[in-house]
Amino acid sequence: MGSLRSFIKDVRAAKTLAEERSIVTKESARIRTKLKDDHLPQEKRRKNIHKLLYLHILGEKTHFAQVECINLIASEDFRDKRLGYLAAMILLDENQEILTLLTNMLNNDLNHPNRYVVSLALSTLGSLMSPELARDLYSDVENILAHSKDDFLVKKALQCAAKLIQRDASLVEVFHSYISSRLVSNQPSSHGVLLGVAKLCQATIAAKEMYEYDNYPEILQSMIQSVPEFFALLQDMNSTNFNPEHDVAGTCDPFLQVELLYTIRLLFELAPHETESYKDKLNDLLTKIATNSDGTKNSAHAVLYECVRTIFALQLDQSLKVLGVNVLAKFLSGKDNNTKYVALNTLLHVVPQEPQAVQKHRKFISKCLFDPDISIKTRAVELTFAILNNSNIKELIEELIAFLKLTSEDEKDLVAYVVEHIIGLFEQYKLGNEKWALEATVNMLMIVGEHISLEKLSDILIMINNAQDLNHKVQIIRRILDISFAKSEESVSSANVGWKLVSAWCVGEYGDTLLENNIYLDTELTEYLRTLDGLYSDDYRITGYVLTAALKLSSRLQNPSCIEELRQIIKGHTKDTNLMIQTKSVQYAILFNLPAKEKHDILGAMPLFEKKAKNGVPAAGSKPEVKRQEPDLLLELLDDDYPKKNTASNTAGSLLDIFGSAPQGPAETENGKDSESLGPSQNSVTIPEDALEAFQSTDLDVHMKLKSIDDYEAHVEMFIHANASINSLQVLAAVSKSKKLTLGNLSATTLAPGENCCQEMKITGGGKPKLRIKLTFNTGSPSITTTEQFDYKFEQKL
Amino acid sequence: MTQIKYMLLVSRQGKVRLMRWYSAYDSKERSKISRELATMVLARKAKMCNILEYQDHKVVYKRYASLYFICGISSDSDNELLTLEVIHRYVEAMDSYFNNVCELDIIFNFTKAYEILNEVLVCDGSMTETSKQAILRSVMTMDSLETSDNLDQVLS
Repeated sequence: MGSLRSFIKDVRAAKTLAEERSIVTKESARIRTKLKDDHLPQEKRRKNIHKLLYLHILGEKTHFAQVECINLIASEDFRDKRLGYLAAMILLDENQEILTLLTNMLNNDLNHPNRYVVSLALSTLGSLMSPELARDLYSDVENILAHSKDDFLVKKALQCAAKLIQRDASLVEVFHSYISSRLVSNQPSSHGVLLGVAKLCQATIAAKEMYEYDNYPEILQSMIQSVPEFFALLQDMNSTNFNPEHDVAGTCDPFLQVELLYTIRLLFELAPHETESYKDKLNDLLTKIATNSDGTKNSAHAVLYECVRTIFALQLDQSLKVLGVNVLAKFLSGKDNNTKYVALNTLLHVVPQEPQAVQKHRKFISKCLFDPDISIKTRAVELTFAILNNSNIKELIEELIAFLKLTSEDEKDLVAYVVEHIIGLFEQYKLGNEKWALEATVNMLMIVGEHISLEKLSDILIMINNAQDLNHKVQIIRRILDISFAKSEESVSSANVGWKLVSAWCVGEYGDTLLENNIYLDTELTEYLRTLDGLYSDDYRITGYVLTAALKLSSRLQNPSCIEELRQIIKGHTKDTNLMIQTKSVQYAILFNLPAKEKHDILGAMPLFEKKAKNGVPAAGSKPEVKRQEPDLLLELLDDDYPKKNTASNTAGSLLDIFGSAPQGPAETENGKDSESLGPSQNSVTIPEDALEAFQSTDLDVHMKLKSIDDYEAHVEMFIHANASINSLQVLAAVSKSKKLTLGNLSATTLAPGENCCQEMKITGGGKPKLRIKLTFNTGSPSITTTEQFDYKFEQKL
Repeated sequence: MTQIKYMLLVSRQGKVRLMRWYSAYDSKERSKISRELATMVLARKAKMCNILEYQDHKVVYKRYASLYFICGISSDSDNELLTLEVIHRYVEAMDSYFNNVCELDIIFNFTKAYEILNEVLVCDGSMTETSKQAILRSVMTMDSLETSDNLDQVLS
């Protein structure tokens, strides 16, 4: 039996997979027999375990030798121990019962006089920490922390302690004191030890919820007292002293810097009030690190990126947020694709917080749409949708369509995502009737029609059907059919099923209009359906549409030979193997033979189609909460000047909390004055049927409608119906602190009895959108000012 | 934060040269992950970014000569750019140890590659030492312990 080296060579020399397998299986069997031999010399034993590790890399099973690994650890020979521990770390995992065999050996070796043996034992315990091992061995780890002055062991013991806390939160009690004691010890700790301290601190923070004793506040307090130490360390690493041992391309130990920043972030998140006094210092520090890490190397970027994450996670000062967005913009404009990716990813989380600031860097985001890298493209697409609003929708959608043109076959998931979102946006922004939206849709259909789902295709058909400008509608249909009939310079691939479906539908539905305007001949239309039927007979989606189109067209033209051809198309499928198609064609064949009058009635033009908002209106069962509360208290809450103290107390109920603080709190906008000049002549708002009643009083009724809702944004319309004559109407609205509210225009401020007006609102943020509305208006003459207030909560989540 | 779920070394032909798992994955998942990632990473072009989204987490990889170093990291707490530096530090350490490391060094001396890695990453994939000198010092001292052990035996 050869050496490890020759075994590896043999495996590598194998010419076929089968040959390799046979070598591997044979060797595996041989190792198994050899290891069973009790009298095998240690050296041979080690050789076999080496081979076993190689088998593991090849993906072979190695379970039969687990006990052998543990036996090696028991040996006093350092070579055996080292290999045994390595094999245990790699071949075992913490779920295996065999680990109990390790307890005694680890216990011995953690107290071994040789530091390297202790180190191996610590590494192994860290990798294979079963709850039992944690329970039995934590005191040995603590012993090292308490007595050892050897940084090499302390750094590993700290990491182990962190892992021990993960396994058993009650061990926080045992280990937490080593955080501060290691930080303030007389001699400066090595970076390895500091990494361990940071890790232990993170583990202690993470264990908070699981920790059962009531002294957590004191533990937390002691960790917070370490914050200045962390600051000093970061400060030190960012001062001018060059430290060759820890320098990484001009940045001092980015690993430790990032680890410390992350620890500080967790601490500040966990205890926002207790750390408040350190906030200014943190601001200064982050600014300093950001200026210091201004390099072009990845190591500097890593630190800078962590700073930005800290800024937005802790929602620090405005000036820092601006700094953060600028750093990300710099990342985006750079050449390095990795920084581009992380920047896009972070901006996606920043958009709800700083929509305007992100908006400024649109140019760079759009550029990333055309990056060859799918990871970057995907992120750029998501970000583009996130920053989309009323004012830039046209431009951004054109960019997205340009993006679609350049997509390849293997990106069809991304394409489908983009198309669905764009069509959704057209509905949401009520753009279905706008010319450019319709043309954009046709362009989209032309480029990626094969990836559009049937459901979205029918949305497109509805858009065409509902187009209000008839001339334009005909133009659009003509453009589509010109391309389909190969009368245009543009062309569409034969795989574009979506396009064919839409074409077939247009031929059937608008055949009469097309013939009246002498755009096409009746034979052309019939011929097109027949060709489609022939070419795509195995695609049931197309066949279905062709059948409907044939039936419809038959009622729209006079030429008997064409009608006969259409009948043949339908008849041809009455024996189709697809049950759905068969049923359809049999039923259509009956309809086909009805008297012309009846047929015409049934197959008339489609009426305007109202699509129900799918996600907008809650089901009848779930009524939104409508609350009316004491106005005086609520007025106070809405008031900007109301003191902040409410934010501190959770007991006062979520409402108090939500409307607590002034700066990020209620977004209030007065619309009254802006639109007053518009006067009542503009007032022709009707309340849609699916709007839900939110509030009623003698003077007015209020209805709410959720127009759309997605990950970050909800669009809401509020309809006010006047029961009496109302003037100088003002709407004030507020949302909870975690959200942002943008008020659109109020359509009218003066209402006669029976008239309506509409207020649009946009809410960004997470959770269920809750609104507090205050309405101020004058009634009667002499006029009396009335104020009404109510809360409204939507059942849908952002 | 550094919390690496696994580190895989894969050759340009898609062969696994080293694998170390820091989170619990059973053998089925392990082979699935290494198979799928090898295909995904090998298919990427040189200029593309080094970050992938895979299953519920992210993957950061970097190519050095004929070897790809692939790391699974958690999506929200890990710093993707820093992970690249972790990989680089490991490669630097091996480069010094083997004196200009190449794929063959790692194939034939995979235990050494593991041992160097064990001085860089511990427990659930967190970094324990950032100084290259310190990493090399401990690995080399342990090497010398092995040979002196050998010597002791010969002498006794």
